[in-house]
Parts: sequence; structure tokens; C-alpha cells
Amino acid sequence: MKFKKGLSMAAGVSLIVAAGCGNDNNAADGGNGEENNGGNNGETTTLSVWAMGEEGNALGSFVESFENEHENIEVNVQAIPWDNAHDSLLTAVASGDGPDVLQLGTTWVAEFAGAGAFLDLSDYEDDYDMINNDDFFEGALDTTYYNDAIYGVPWYVDTRVLFYRTDILEEHGYEEPPQNWEEMLEVSRELADRGDGMFGFDIDQNDQLVPPIFAWQNGWEFNEEEAEENFADPAFREAMDYYHTYFAEGLVQETEGVPIEQGFEEGSKPMFTSGPWMINIIRNEAPDIDGDWDVAMFPGNERNASAIGGSHLSVFAKTENPEEALEFISYMSEPETQIEWFKETNTLPARQSAWDDEELQQDEKLAVFGDQLEEAVAPPVLSQWENIAQDLLSSLERINRGGADLDEELDNFQQQAANRLD
Amino acid sequence: MNHKNALTPWLFIGPAVLLLIMFSLLPILVSLLISFTDIDLIGLGNWDMVEFVAFENFIALFQDPLFHRSIFNTLVYVSIGVPLVIICSLSVALMLNYMSNKLFSFFRVLFYVPSITNIVAIAVVWGFLYNMDVGLFNFIINSLGLQNVPWLEHPFMAKISLIILAVWKGIGINMLIYLAALQSIPRSFYEAADIDGANKFQKLRYITIPSLSYATFFVTVTTLIGWLQFFEEPFVMTGGGPLDGTMSMALFIYERGFQYNEFGYAAAASLILFIFIIVATLIQFTFNKSKEN
Amino acid sequence: MKNRFEKLLVMSVLLIGGFIVSIPFIWMILSSFKSEREARTMPPTFWPQEFTFEHYINLFQNLNFGTYFTNTLIIVLFAMLGLLFNTMAGYGFAKFQFKGKEAVFIAVLATMMIPAQVSMIPVYLLLNQMGLTNTMAGIILPGLIAAFNIFLIRQFMTTIPNDLIESARIDGAKEFRIFFQIIIPLSKPVLAVQAILTFVGAWNSFLWPLIVANDQALYTLSVGLALLQGQHSSSFALQMAGATVMVIPVLILFIFVQRYIVEGFNTTGIK
Repeated sequence: MKFKKGLSMAAGVSLIVAAGCGNDNNAADGGNGEENNGGNNGETTTLSVWAMGEEGNALGSFVESFENEHENIEVNVQAIPWDNAHDSLLTAVASGDGPDVLQLGTTWVAEFAGAGAFLDLSDYEDDYDMINNDDFFEGALDTTYYNDAIYGVPWYVDTRVLFYRTDILEEHGYEEPPQNWEEMLEVSRELADRGDGMFGFDIDQNDQLVPPIFAWQNGWEFNEEEAEENFADPAFREAMDYYHTYFAEGLVQETEGVPIEQGFEEGSKPMFTSGPWMINIIRNEAPDIDGDWDVAMFPGNERNASAIGGSHLSVFAKTENPEEALEFISYMSEPETQIEWFKETNTLPARQSAWDDEELQQDEKLAVFGDQLEEAVAPPVLSQWENIAQDLLSSLERINRGGADLDEELDNFQQQAANRLD
Repeated sequence: MNHKNALTPWLFIGPAVLLLIMFSLLPILVSLLISFTDIDLIGLGNWDMVEFVAFENFIALFQDPLFHRSIFNTLVYVSIGVPLVIICSLSVALMLNYMSNKLFSFFRVLFYVPSITNIVAIAVVWGFLYNMDVGLFNFIINSLGLQNVPWLEHPFMAKISLIILAVWKGIGINMLIYLAALQSIPRSFYEAADIDGANKFQKLRYITIPSLSYATFFVTVTTLIGWLQFFEEPFVMTGGGPLDGTMSMALFIYERGFQYNEFGYAAAASLILFIFIIVATLIQFTFNKSKEN
Repeated sequence: MKNRFEKLLVMSVLLIGGFIVSIPFIWMILSSFKSEREARTMPPTFWPQEFTFEHYINLFQNLNFGTYFTNTLIIVLFAMLGLLFNTMAGYGFAKFQFKGKEAVFIAVLATMMIPAQVSMIPVYLLLNQMGLTNTMAGIILPGLIAAFNIFLIRQFMTTIPNDLIESARIDGAKEFRIFFQIIIPLSKPVLAVQAILTFVGAWNSFLWPLIVANDQALYTLSVGLALLQGQHSSSFALQMAGATVMVIPVLILFIFVQRYIVEGFNTTGIK
């Protein structure tokens, strides 16, 4: 039995808090308290870990097996709501007062690593096997590098694939899902032709990843040295034209419409793209179409590219316990732990060898994600990237809804990108 | 009024003023100071990297079309929304004050609940009402044989839709304030008017409304401040779109500062917003004073 | 004297208007009893097709309710102390003349004029300097005083006749005695409004408990509820259940306190 001696708090009332703080499995343990009189030899280190939302809640009890293996390390998980994770990180950077280990969305690497928030792990590469290990998906590793340093270890990944209604496609004579752009447009046109309020595909106009995915599918690659010239590349321009085609021809719904799960179930939006989380949502919320839908690789032009997302685990630069922190990350990245974590939270393992697990192998839908992950590209690790991606969405909105000329607008966008990148 | 002890007023306002200086005024001053720097996330972690840039942020703002848009949109919100909130909450309060029995207590609860409805629920329900294709409003409009209205899908219409939503949400609190204010009108005023044979509207015009002027002043000032910082409605309903048609100054500041970490730039924008608000407030105070005299 | 037609008109306007404005609220409560799928359907159903309590069960199992509730109550308690300071300040601004009053008051109002997020980081750095991060004090202090409340009190207290205070002074009453025994009872309606607003604010407090604490033991109910959301999957009906649980105490307080707002006493008429 562990028990906490006083928490270090200023207000006297905090005693009430301490009294009211039960030792529930997912409750946080202790404040910054270090003491542990469990009878271990030596000092016990308390490792503070930040994780987000539901996953953070689940991690609280998940770490027990790690604590059992490491008697001198106590892990204190603090779950932070997703919507506020950015604010919390900001204050941690500003004050230098942060956790030891934190969960880091792959898109945040550049912005926070640039601010010196994390420890460069390349110094520890020789001592810890999981750092820069090529057993991780390549796309996931790509987002751990920034400015020739390594700022994280992949934890879990996600990617977008094509969800489609097998029954509706079959009705229109398509036994197989579309394989490339040409077929995507053909099927979409055919299905959008079914009548008013019917669409072929669906594009979330607020999703920053869709335009670059299309560009990657067209063979485009972002090259940092070329800066804004990247956006003059015909492969990029063509992909934006492809994006625009869906709106210009009414193949996707331009207005808000019904939620996508519902459109999919009703059949008005028989194809869309989304991540692994959507599998369970559709299974649970649309049981009527069980067996009438499937997933497939995101059809491309040059290649069936998609975007890779997910989270890394990083070490806060000002940590006093780098060794213990890395010990913890090492544990979390072991294939066995990754499989356990998948079973707990349904997030996909970043480590390829974890995919040999039976449960992952047997689920055909998940296997598609496994294939897609091998073709998944990471958005550039660039602190201005989010700004640029948002500018691109605004430009596309002006083209699709405001009737702006495609080339002119993209020239403007390129100019904007030049300003951002200089 | 005369007091023997000049310290007395400070005993009353002291605790509040001290805490406000500490936790509100000082931080605001700091954040306004940084509007003259190029501070971003890197600077936040390492103050040596922050540079003084004088008016560069302001010059950039004056050239930023999105900022111009946001000012225009904010002015539209304020000039339509503020009068609407005041008129609606006063009318509701007057009606609710009409009688005081059980039924009216129930009505008061009904009109208050919009202000305590969870924001996610608001977003979903209003999102449905305004949905262009399957929404309730367009369903009603269609059944009258009229064309679909692009509630949230057209830059100007979306502004109007958000104003309606915000008025709905803003009635509750202001209605309470008016209800409380209505209690302090001495009955004798009305009794005197009755003797003079005044009708209902004359009483409203010459007794009720003038007696409420101090409450109206409060409601006007705070509503104006609130609406100049119009944020939550576009944030949850439209994210500033379509085509930046609902982007407000406060949302612009939030996006620049907290999505893109351009703290200096965002602080400069908030200084401009601050100037708008303080000018508007001072005008009201001057106007109010000259009326009182 | 009120004629029947007029009464009927007012009643029906209030009934229809009240029903329309409270639909989202009613819908929020009803949705918490729907299945996740039904809660998301467009167009939404009004009445649940099948009542389920699963979200409430889920809520109480997954939320560390005891701790979060205690924390929230502590914040509410201290907010009521803040209410006292606000009321005192409002009285000070309304009924005293002193040098620099206008300037100080404008400075008080100025704290309302900047979006709250803008000063978030400076406040955090300040609390950090004072060693108040990760303490209850750090969570409570920044929100204790609200210019809105001071202004509201000031506006209402200016209507209290000065003679009342003067005659009490002549009778030899101490300043604080005047405040507590004369001013406070006279201000019941506006204090009731204040109490409701303060309670709602404290009860829902979210940002500071989250930012200041680096320990979940200091989280409030609102923060705990937000933690039930995944990155991509949001359980909508569960959120509605959480919102419903949160709003019940507010409603009870409102129903209890609102009669003070409209209490038809007429003491201010004394001249």
C-alpha cells in the first residue's frame, strides 16, 4: 500500500482535496510528491506524463504494468483534453515547468521543437534501441526529425483510407473499389448522377490534409530548399484541379449536409475517406449496413498515397529525469506493449512488427490500414506548414465557392507561401 | 457626500482593485507591450530571441485583408446585435414582470435556460436549425413555397444567422438584470401616474423606461463590450467561414495567437480591439454623464 | 385592473416564446437518454425512440466524480467570497466620492476589454513566479474578481437614496455596519442576480483548473467531462449527459434564488 503524505499546496483548503482524492485506477496519483514508503531500496522517481483526452485517461491505469517492472519509478499521468492540449503546451514552454514525458501530435513537432521544448534524443541513440528504429513506419519516423535532431519516438499512428459502400458500387456495376483518379472520378460521376441530393464522394473542406494528399498521389513531393516553388510544380497544380473538379461537377456536397456517418448509411455519400477510428463508429452507429461496406487504399494517380498522423512520445527539455523518461518511452514502444495499447484504445501500433499480432492480422479492414501506412506520407515538418495548409484551404474555398480562377488564385497562394517561408 | 475618513472608500474597493491589478490589469499590460515585439513560440521559450519591432505588427495588420474583414464583420455584429439584445431582453423582462405567480416563475426559467445550455448542444441544435439541406428553418420555408435560405453558407447571411443565435443566448442574463432593476422603481410613481390618469404606454414611456436608465446604461456598455469581442458563436458554428464572412476580431486574435503562435501580431490586433472598445465605452460614459446633468 | 385579453396575450407570447427559446435545452436533456446513433441523426429526433441510461452509468464509472466535485465546490465557495469583494467595490464606487475615482473605475472596466485568452500566458507566468501553479489558490485567485460584477453592483447601488446612509451615519453607525445592515438587504434583487452569475461561472470553471494544475487531483467537473473525448471520436450523447448533470445544480439554484430577484418589496421608495 502506498499512501501520500501531504501534497504541496498553498491553500489550506487543499487538504480537503487530498482527502477527497480517491485512489481510483485512473485518478492521478499525488502531486509532485516524491516519497514512497513501499520499502524499495533507493529513491523513487516520480515521472510526470502528459497524455491527451480519452487516451490519456486510459494511460493512467495502463502504466501499472510498467510500474511493476520498475519499482523505483512511479508514473503520474495527467490527462489533458484534446482541445486544450495546445494551450497547456504553450504554458509549459513559457514557464519551463512541464512534464517529463508528453504525448505530441505529429503535426506539432516543428512548432514546439523549434521552440526548444524537447530533448534531442539523438544523443541517446546508442543507449536506447527504440530511438530512430526503422521498425517504425517510415512516415512516422519522418515526423520525429527536425533540424537534424530527433525529438520523439512514434507511439501510435493513423492514416486515411477510402470507405465505400460495396452494395451501391455493385448496383452500378463496380465489383471493385476504384483504383486510381480516373476510376474515382468515373465512379463518383456515376453515383452522383443518381439524383438530387446524391453524391459520389465526400471531401471535408476543413481538412488540411486532403489537398496535400491529392498532391502526393500525383507524385508531388515537398522539397524544403525549393520553398514556394513547390507550389508551382505542375504535379501540385494538377492535383488542385482534381480537388476542384469534385466541387465544380457537384460530385461532393459543398454545403454542410448530414454528418458523414449518416450520409454513408443512407447511401447519399457512398464513398469518403477517414481514419481507423471511423471503423468502430460505423460498426456501432450503422449496424444496418454491416457487410455492405469496406475499406480500400486511397486511390491515387502516380501512387496510392495518404497522410500519416498519430502521436509521438517526447521528452520535455527541462526534465530532471531523462533516463527514467526514456525508460518509460522504451517500454511504451515495445511491440508487445504496442499491441496491448491497441487492444485498450484501438489506436494503431507505430511499430511494424506489432502488426504481426493475430488480432491485427485477422481483421481485414485493419490490414488495409497496414498497407496504406506503408504508402503514407508525412506532412513537411516545418513550423510554417500549418499556416500554409490553412492558406491553401482558404484559396480552394475561394475557387470552389467564390468562383475565383484556379490558376490566379494558386499564384496568389504561392506568393503568400513565399511570404510565410522567407 | 462628506466623510471624515478618506480611507473608507479604499477599504471597500481595495481588495477587489488589488486583485484586479494583479491578475487582470498587469497581465493585460504585459500582453499589450508584446504587441511591439516579434514574439512567437520560440521567443516564448527563450526571451533572448524576442526583438522589439516597433510598429511593424501594426503596419502588417493594416495591410492584412483578413483583419480588415474581421473589423467589418465585427462592426456588423455590433450594430445589429447590441440594439436587438437590449430591446429583446427589456421586452421579455417587462412581460415577465407583468405578474408574479408560479406560472411566471416558470417562464423566467424558460427564458433563462439559453444562457446555461451547453455550447456543444447549442452548436448541434442550431447547426440543425440552420442546415441548408435538412434543417428545420428551410423545411418551414420550403413548405411555404419559398427558396432555401443559405443560413450558414453565405458570407452575409451567416453573419445574420450568428447574430440571431447570439441574441437568443444573450437574453437570459440581461433579462435578469432588467427584472432586478424593475423592482427598484418605487410603486408611488405609478400610483401618482394613476391619479393623473396616465395610460399603460404613458407609464411605460415616462416612468418605467426612464427609471431603468441606469440598468440600460449597464446593459448597453457590457453588451457592447461583449459583442465587440464576439467569439464563441463563429468559433463553434462556422470557424470564421464561409469565405471569412463570419471572422470576428476576437476570433482573428485567437487564431493568430493560439493556432499560429504569432503572439506579437495577435497582441497588436488586441490592442486595436482594445482601442475600439475603450473609445466606445468612453463615449457612452460621456453621453450618460451629460444626460444625468 | 388588468383586462383578460391583455393577460392572455402576454401569457401566450411568453409561453410560445419561452418554449421556442428553450428547445435546445430540452433537446440537450432528452438527447442524453438517446443512443449515440440516434443523438447524431439529422434531422434529430426530439423524443428518444428508446430511453437508455448507459451514458449516465458510463459517466459515473469513468469520471473520478468525488474529487472533481469537491474541487468544483471549493471553487464555488471561494467565488462567493469574491462576490463579497465585488459587492463592496461596487458600493465603494457608487456611494463614495474620492480622488481618482473615475480613473480607477475606468481601469476596472478596462479589464473587460481584452479577450481572456490574450492575457492567459502572462497570468500563468505570474502565478508561476509566485509559486502558485499546481495549487488551489492559483486556480481560484485569477477569477475571484470580475469587473462585470463590480459595474453591475455600482449601477444598482447608485439608486439607493443617500439620505438613508447619511442618517445612519448621523446615528453613529460604523461604515461596515451600514454596508451589511442597510445596503445589503436593500440590494437583494441585484445580489441574487450576482449570485446566480457567480455560481454559474465558478461551477463551470474550466480554463484555470486545467492550465494551472499539473495534477488531475485538482481538476474540476468540466475538465473531467472534457477528458472523456477522444481525438477523432466524440461521444455526443455522453457529452449531453455530462452537460445535463452539470446544469441541474444551476437550475435548482436559479429556481430557488429567482424569487429574490422579483421580490416585490419597495423599501427603496423611502425618501
